Formats: sequence, structure tokens, C-alpha cells
Amino acid sequence: METSLRHQRNAEKLKRKMRIDKAFKYLFFLAALLSGSCILLIVLFILIKGIQPFLPGYRYGQMDLLQFLFGTMWRQDQAVYGVGYIVINTLISAFGALLLSFPISVLTALFIAKIAPRKLSAMLSTVVELLASIPSVVYGVFAAGMIVKLVKWLASLWGISTAGGSSLLAVILLLAIMIFPTITSMAVTAIQAVDHELELGSLALGATKTQTNFKVVLKSAKSGIFAGAILGLGRAFGEATAVSMVAGNKLFGPTFDLFDITRTLTSTMLAGLKETTGLDYDIRFSVGIVLMAVILVSNLILNAVKEKVGNHG
Amino acid sequence: MNVTKKQQRQRTLKDAFLNGLTAFSSMLSVLVLTILLGYVFSKGIGLVNVDLLRNQYWSKSAIVAVEEGTQSGTFERPEDLPKEAVWSEKWGIALIDAVSHEKQALVLVERVDENSVFAATVDTSAGPNQGKSYPVVPGLQVQKIDFTDQQGNANFTGMLASETAEEMVHALDQAVSIRSVFIKTPGGGIRGSLIATLYLIFVSLLFALPIGVASAVYLNEIAKKNRFNGLIRSGIETLTGVPSIVYGLMGVSVLFPITAAFGATTTNILLGSLTLAIILLPTIIRSTEEALLVVPQSLRDASLSLGASETQTIFKITLPCAIPGILTGVLLSIGRIIGESAALIYTMGTFINDSPSLLSQGTSLAVHIWSVMSGEQPNFELACAISILILVFVLILNLTVKLISRRLNKAWY
Repeated sequence: METSLRHQRNAEKLKRKMRIDKAFKYLFFLAALLSGSCILLIVLFILIKGIQPFLPGYRYGQMDLLQFLFGTMWRQDQAVYGVGYIVINTLISAFGALLLSFPISVLTALFIAKIAPRKLSAMLSTVVELLASIPSVVYGVFAAGMIVKLVKWLASLWGISTAGGSSLLAVILLLAIMIFPTITSMAVTAIQAVDHELELGSLALGATKTQTNFKVVLKSAKSGIFAGAILGLGRAFGEATAVSMVAGNKLFGPTFDLFDITRTLTSTMLAGLKETTGLDYDIRFSVGIVLMAVILVSNLILNAVKEKVGNHG
Repeated sequence: MNVTKKQQRQRTLKDAFLNGLTAFSSMLSVLVLTILLGYVFSKGIGLVNVDLLRNQYWSKSAIVAVEEGTQSGTFERPEDLPKEAVWSEKWGIALIDAVSHEKQALVLVERVDENSVFAATVDTSAGPNQGKSYPVVPGLQVQKIDFTDQQGNANFTGMLASETAEEMVHALDQAVSIRSVFIKTPGGGIRGSLIATLYLIFVSLLFALPIGVASAVYLNEIAKKNRFNGLIRSGIETLTGVPSIVYGLMGVSVLFPITAAFGATTTNILLGSLTLAIILLPTIIRSTEEALLVVPQSLRDASLSLGASETQTIFKITLPCAIPGILTGVLLSIGRIIGESAALIYTMGTFINDSPSLLSQGTSLAVHIWSVMSGEQPNFELACAISILILVFVLILNLTVKLISRRLNKAWY
């Protein structure tokens, strides 16, 4: 009987195997490199294209950067492009939605994770998942059909007339509904991750179950809940189609009146998109840069705040 | 310190209030979902039928002429004809009143006898089909019928004179010969968008799936923990936070030259697919990685110790074990493709195309909704009908994902 199979080794075959291994490793690496560099491509190309209108020698006449950044009027027909008030409008609508949605989301998350009986909690989680999976156009149709009517009715209670219900308030309500599942599911995860010992300690000290939930559990989950809020805010900033359906297209601003029409960065980018050349098209890339900058800056600030309030309090 | 009864009661009340508040908030979400579904379904369900899926969006008009010399006859009313249809014994055609989704009165052809003059008409409208046979078939919309009456005068009847089916048949019975018919194909369907959506799903997955799975394999199986690989990972994670409209901008600026190399002159479905492929990458990579993570290391070790090469181990051991996870990624991706709108508005245009091809403009179902909603007269009924289709589809996908992940959790090994 043979005791060794060593002589059966085929050096040639082995070498080929190694070569194939190496080739595939490179292939996998290339795929990962491609996926990882997409974000760089996105930022780079949009920067290049968006900056062009402000450089000398631009085909359709150089734009004034300061006027663009701080302008309070956006008229495509007159080639007046000022994005300043639109940034303010975007911030108002996104933070308004967060303000409305955040408490409801956190309370719902607490109910799902700690208070509700098991079956009810499973049902509510499904509801939240369903809300998260509804595409934004469908929310848009809903907003243009129902939320707008609600706003109109509210306005008539105060005796104010609206532009068919399209208004800042409609945008805020719509965005609040859309970011609700994001914040809620993050908050549920954070609450469920809270150390059970902490709760037991609180209960042992004589606090009621509810006191424990509100004062211990929520406080310990603070960091995760905050992360959810940041994520939700990002979604509110970037939401385009649904918002465009109810924002109206205010030509100047900023809009502080809840019942007045407004204009956000994303609705500006979608409004009247027809030609694929010309200043009116290129300027949308500049608006895109502003949008990315707004998201980035607000994320940085909120993350800094999160670090501060974080898990020390 | 002792707690008094009164304090205790206050505490209980306060707790009940707070608990009630959380329950109330949760009910709000249920309420919103119910109202949303109720609105979409009540408004759109009337339009959801096979015709919606089969019909083209734009109705086409044509004037078809009756061949010279053919005359009337006596046709028996078919027994299975619905009661509402009006039958013309002289010409062998049945007309019926209908209402379009824009709430306009229509007269539709319900039945044509095979020996009727209407079954042998010829297209006379200018175009490549001029002179070819174009019989009047059931389902077509009759705008106007020109005929010669008993006095030898040219006359016409039809919807252009806002006549009903009954009045038209009555007028036809007075006619001596029919000259031509102005017909319109039914519109308002979503066939083109449905096809375009299928294109999008297949083509974008064709690109995203191999690249995504390969990236996940690299990150999970091959990559060493170093700074560079960390950068790749965070690059992919950042992609999830990019708003979809920014992807649209990226598509037209970065990817358009690629499709132009294939001969595209406008924004097109291929461009939309490529853009979607990038949007899908993080989803596919994450779900594949999650599946790879739970494949036990011992399986890999066993394969390697038996003499399989690393490539063989990856393709024959690790990836097959991760198939449920990859499938989850694919299903989630399909959901994303169906719901995506902003990026596609930039990369595919908003023109509803009844016969889409890879290099032509077209709309997915979601963009179709945007297209009918952003006009002067938003068409809520059609938008809601398409929404119902999208919602049902997304719901099925989500349920399947849940089932698969339950399977994944009790894995076979």
C-alpha cells in the first residue's frame, strides 16, 4: 500500500490553481475598489459640473457665486438664480418635520419595545416596516390628495386662503410621516439594546415600571435614538419627488408662514426639468452641491451635539 | 419616608397617562397607514384591471375607410351580447356607452360581425400603414362614422356630435352606405412603463449583482484589516446616505458618456439601469456580507484542508451557503428599483414611452406616476391605480424577504 501521495502532486496543476486564485483575488479587489470609489466619482463629477457656471468663460455667461449663494429669488424665466432662501426653506421644513416626528417616533418605539403586549408589538413593528417600504412617489400622491386637503381645511378654520393646500405645512406633515419609520426603527433597536440590569436596578430602587422606562431606558438609549434622528433628517433633506408634489414653487423667500407655498432644494432640482443642456440645467448641479453641503454640515453639527450629550448624562 | 396613599394614586395616574401617551403615538402610525392605504385603494381600485396593464398610454387615432361597393345586410343580434350594447342589424356592429378614466363619455365597439363592412376596413391615415387592412375590432373607441344617407347627402354621426351609442346606431340604420370611421385606440394603460420597469430590474441587477457580491466576498473573505480596506468600506457605507436625486445628477454626468458609446443620444433606460446599479450596490453588499458572516469558519477550513483552492472554496462552499442572503439582497433591490423615482427622472426622462427599448427614453411605474401627477391636470385615479400595483408588489417582496430571513436564521448547518 502506498503511504504517501506526495509523488502524485502535479506542480503544473498547482501553479495554475495559484494563478487562478490570484486572478480572482484581483477581480474581487477590483469590484470592491469600484464600489468603494463610486462615492468619490459622484462628489467629484458633481463638483466639476456644478462649479462651472461660476467660472469665467462659462458658455452661457458667468454667474455671480455670492448672488447664487445668498440670493433671495429664483426665476428660471429671467435667469435669476439665488439659492439662499431655498436653503433656509429646506432647513425649516426638515427640522419642522423632525420636531413633529421625533417625539411621536420615540414614544412609539418605547411602546413597541417595552410596553405593548407581544402580539400588539409585533403588529406595530409590521406597520412601521410597511410605512418604511412605501415608495416616495406613493407618499407624494397621498400628500397631493389627502394632506393637502387637511391643510386646506385647517387654513379655512383660521380664514386663510392657501394655494390649493400646497404649503410649508403640507411639506412638514409629509416629511414627518416619511421619516417616522426611520427614527422609530432605530429607536426600537437602541431601546432593546439597553442593559437589562439597569432596568432591574431602577425597579429595585422602588421606581415604577413607567418611571424606569422614561427615566432610565430612554436616557440610556439616547445615543442610538439621536443617531436615528440624524438619519431621519438626512432623509428629509434628500426627499425629492414627494416634496415636489406639495411644495409649490415659490419664486422668492424665505417662507416662514406655514400656509404659504415654499420651495426646497430638491423640489428646485426637479421643477421644470425639460432641457438637458443650458444654464438652467447646469445650475441644478450647483444646487446639488449645496444640498450635499447642507446634509454634510448638519450631520457634522448634529454628530458633535450627539458626542456632547451622548452617554455621559 | 413613607409614601402616602395620595402620592401613590398620583403616581399611578401619572404612569397611566404616560403609558397612554405612548399607546396614542403608536396608534397615530396605524392611523396614517390606514388612511394612506384607504385613500390609494378607494381612488385607484376602479382602474385596476387587465386593460390597465395591457393598454398603451397614448391613444392613437386613425381614419379607416370602408371598401367601395360593400353594402349592408341583415345581421342577427348575437345572443351573448350584453344588454347595454346596442346592435345594428343593418351593419352588424354593436356599440356601447362607456366612461373614460378622465370621466368623459365614450362610445366603444363591443362586437363586429365577421361579414360586416366594418370587419374589412382599410387604414387611410397618413403614415407607413396607409392602405393596409385595419379592421374595426372590439375595444376601439368610435369618434365618428361618415356615411351617405337616403337623400345621397354626406352625413356623420358619433361622439364628435356628442351622440350616445343608441343614437349612433339609430343614425346608421338610416344610412345607405358607410364611407369611413374615425377610431381611437384606448389609452391610459401602463404597458410601456411595465416593460421599462422590467428592463430596469434585469439590467441593473445584471450589473449590480456580480459587482456587489464580488465586493462583499473581497471585504469579508479576502481583505486584510488595514486602512485602505477600511476606506473602501466607509466609501460603500457613505453611498447609503446619498439622496437619490444626487444619484440622478451623477448618472447624467458620469454614466451618460458610457451609454453614448452605445449610441444613445438622449437620456435612456440603460442610463437609468446603470444609475440604479450603483444605488443598489450598498444593499447587495450588505446583505451578502451578513450572509457570509454566518457561514461557519469550519466549513471553509475543511474545504481548504481537503486541498481545494481559495477560489474553489469561495465559489463552491462559501457562496452557496450565502445564497439566501444574496436572494434577500436581490429582493430588497427589486423593491428599491420599483420605488425609485428622483434618480430616474434625471436619467430616463419623464416621457411615457409605449414601446420602450434600452436606448430610448421611458418611464418606470414610479416615474409614470410622477409624470401623470406633474402635468397641468394631475390624474389622481391613474396615479392611485399604479400605486396599488406598486404597493402590492412591494408588500409581496417584503413578506418574501421576511420568510427567507426566517429560513436563514434556522440554517441547515
